[in-house]
Amino acid sequence: MSAVAKAQTFWRSAMEGIRHQPFVHAVSTITLAIALFTLGLARSAAHELDRLVGSLGGEVRVTVYLDPRVPPAARTAVADGLRRRGMAVEEVSPHAALERLVRELGPAAESLRGLSEDPLPPSLEVRVPESMRAPASLRALAAELRGIAAVTGVDYGEQAVERLSAIARAVRWAGWVAFVVLVGATLIIVSATLQLAIYARREEVEIQKLVGATDRFVQAPFLLEGALQGIAGAALAIAGLIAFRQTVSPQLSTLLSFLRLPGAGADASPWMEALELALAGAGLGLAGSYLAVHRFLRA
Amino acid sequence: MIQMFHVTKAYPGDPPALVDVNLSVEKGEFVFLTGPSGAGKTTLLRLVFCAEPATRGQILVGGRNVARIRQGSIPFLRRNMGVVFQDFKLLPHRTVLDNVALSLDVLGVPRAEARQRANRMLKLVGLQHKTESLPLKLSGGEQQRVVIARALVNEPALLLADEPTGNLDPELSQEIMSLLQDANVRGTTVVVATHDLPMVERSGKRVVRLDRGRIVSDAGGPTVVRRVG
Ligand SMILES: Nc1ncnc2c1ncn2[C@@H]1O[C@H](COP(=O)(O)OP(=O)(O)OP(=O)(O)O)[C@@H](O)[C@H]1O
Ligand SMILES: [Mg+2]
Repeated sequence: MSAVAKAQTFWRSAMEGIRHQPFVHAVSTITLAIALFTLGLARSAAHELDRLVGSLGGEVRVTVYLDPRVPPAARTAVADGLRRRGMAVEEVSPHAALERLVRELGPAAESLRGLSEDPLPPSLEVRVPESMRAPASLRALAAELRGIAAVTGVDYGEQAVERLSAIARAVRWAGWVAFVVLVGATLIIVSATLQLAIYARREEVEIQKLVGATDRFVQAPFLLEGALQGIAGAALAIAGLIAFRQTVSPQLSTLLSFLRLPGAGADASPWMEALELALAGAGLGLAGSYLAVHRFLRA
Repeated sequence: MIQMFHVTKAYPGDPPALVDVNLSVEKGEFVFLTGPSGAGKTTLLRLVFCAEPATRGQILVGGRNVARIRQGSIPFLRRNMGVVFQDFKLLPHRTVLDNVALSLDVLGVPRAEARQRANRMLKLVGLQHKTESLPLKLSGGEQQRVVIARALVNEPALLLADEPTGNLDPELSQEIMSLLQDANVRGTTVVVATHDLPMVERSGKRVVRLDRGRIVSDAGGPTVVRRVG
């Protein structure tokens, strides 16, 4: 019963605090809304970037060179093994490989005509599914294939893949740094504004302590205010994101169509996203008010 | 209820506000603290209330040594004390009833019960018709009675009052004094710091006189002679 009574007291006190200082709370809420809106946008951007990297990775083919001495059945067994794991595999016989080379070399291929034996080994052209296009999985796949007796070599354009992933990694790092800066700046602004709110109610705090309130009792309404600000800020940010996606986003994607962005599909559920933003908002608001209250009570 | 052993309180840069004070207040006693301005009356009450630590010496309140109390335990000690300070310290935006109920809110008493008990206490101090007023709409004497109601509503073992009749005319002062005496009769130990010597003399209670931080006399009340620190 006592916990319920206290919760009611905190709620009343928080509501009263917001009512008496609408400006301070509005500043804090808007700061949180801007930060959450930016985070939401950045996350969509990261999502697009992932898809872009994924689609570029689709160009990467893995060529598996096979030992010409093993019987064709063993080669087919390797190909079937890969197919069972969801990869598109084309078997290229030595003859077909030579024909392709001749076609690619054109007139310069005259010198190849005289060869009696097939000079090229048989090979498999493998298209890797999207889920396995990360450099690490390609590397693992190559290592695994090299371990098979019938395989003499694996080539998947290692350098291109590594460079692409290095770029993606750098962008991701920059994103994290920006994220930390954004969260830090938001916390500073929110805790500074909340400190104003606490300062304006220092008399109330003093009187509460006079009649035996614990620090936690004094803190609770301010923490509640911070969390409520975060949730209100998240609501604003979600409204902003919806508006942004309906107006600016389609224009942006036609503008960037030269990048051949794959069509929007598999987006995270909007409810999930809203929930995450609300939680992030409440967390930021709580952390900001916690910092403010602590600095005040220490003083 | 209160025991002070060789208590000294010094503020940096000033002569000490209290010097080697020894004082014992029994459970259920009513004690006046008097002395000229700057004698250390408020300082003594603040030490008992744990608003500040003593520079030297030991203070026991209800058997607890407050000289070495943890910061986190102070609220629980205060829940057993009512305080009435010179500046009323009422919340200007809350009603009289809410101000009194605050003492119970911090204990987690359910709202309905807190309001009921606050109402009863306000009736006891004669303010049942002002429960929904804001404090600033009240006269000085009425505000002082609200403060007393807030101090007494959770039935504390100890009541500390600093100049509770400070700005009131003699008639109102008498009213306030009888409220404090009523609380004392109900079992609360009461310590009152005051300048109002006529009132003190009329009461026939124990009087501790301070001067420049020292106890210079301690007389009256149930035990007539006491050791002077
Ligand atoms: N926070 C403080 N900082 C420095 N000196 C203080 C502080 N509080 C009190 N003092 C000093 O301690 C001495 C005692 O003050 P105190 O307020 O206890 O006197 P008092 O007996 O209550 O006086 P009054 O009757 O005027 O209320 C005074 O000399 C005062 O200047
Ligand atoms: Mg004083």
